[in-house]
Amino acid sequence: MSEPSARGEQLDLPPVRRRDRTAPPIGLNLTSMIDVVFLLLVYFLVATDFKQSEEIYRLDLPERREGMAIDPFELDDEPLRILVRNTGAASEDYRLDIEGARGTVRDFESLYEFLAARRIDGMGGGLFADDHPVLVVPSSGTSWSFAVGAFNAAVRAGYVNITFEESAS
Amino acid sequence: MSTIFKRGPARPQANITPMIDVTFLLIVFFVLVSQIVDLENVDLELPAPDHAATRLPGEEPRAVVNVLPGPSGKSSGYRVAGESFEATPAGVQGLRSLLVELFQATPQMRVNLRADRRTAYRWVAPVFQAVRQAAVMADVGLDGASLNLVVVREDQ
Repeated sequence: MSEPSARGEQLDLPPVRRRDRTAPPIGLNLTSMIDVVFLLLVYFLVATDFKQSEEIYRLDLPERREGMAIDPFELDDEPLRILVRNTGAASEDYRLDIEGARGTVRDFESLYEFLAARRIDGMGGGLFADDHPVLVVPSSGTSWSFAVGAFNAAVRAGYVNITFEESAS
Repeated sequence: MSTIFKRGPARPQANITPMIDVTFLLIVFFVLVSQIVDLENVDLELPAPDHAATRLPGEEPRAVVNVLPGPSGKSSGYRVAGESFEATPAGVQGLRSLLVELFQATPQMRVNLRADRRTAYRWVAPVFQAVRQAAVMADVGLDGASLNLVVVREDQ
């Protein structure tokens, strides 16, 4: 197609090609970021050590202050002493004895039943009030797990005044 | 004379820099927090009694005494608040002195006792004595001379 020049002549020019320009697509390349996020996620999953839920027993330690006043008319309750010791070389077995009671208790479940059966329940049965002192006496070589097992049996049975013998025998 | 600037279509871009800043801050935060938790709680195999009649720990201030396990039921020492003490009479005395300082700074502090389930009782008993004596020396009253035995619950 020819266009008229300033002097009115027709010039033979190539046709103007109009580029059909559309707006470039708008977008954010998230791929690399997602890669990094997943790498971090995997790292923390591998590195994390899922902890089991830790719970507590409250243990009151009697205050033994020097020169404490003692009420001469107050009768001390004789504590219920639970002896715990390891048996065998494998340190897997334990033995429980209740001082003054006939026989032994086989395991922590029967210790719980023994203690629960002797706690005053308000129905006329039982021997010991729930604040009767209970003393857990582990031998020096007893695993901490067994000492805690005996303590747990007394807590389960409803006693509230439970302590450990502090000097390991 | 007027000038016309030819401007192309706007190219919107997301600024990723603050996001990366926040991500790195989070990473630093988690790394620091995990180190603080490790200082307080040593990795131990805690006792897990059946039918545990335990309670959840409260929000009160606490000091965690870790009885570090050694070979064949022995203990290699005690660790409190990042400080280590040997499992000897001198070490127990040092533990007691630190507990006195902590009790004086925070009289309502509770002491959490963490010991490995295989550790023999002879290594745990000195902690009871140290806590009781420290509470008396710091004069925090009867309620201070008590501690929390820490166990795990596996039957939940």
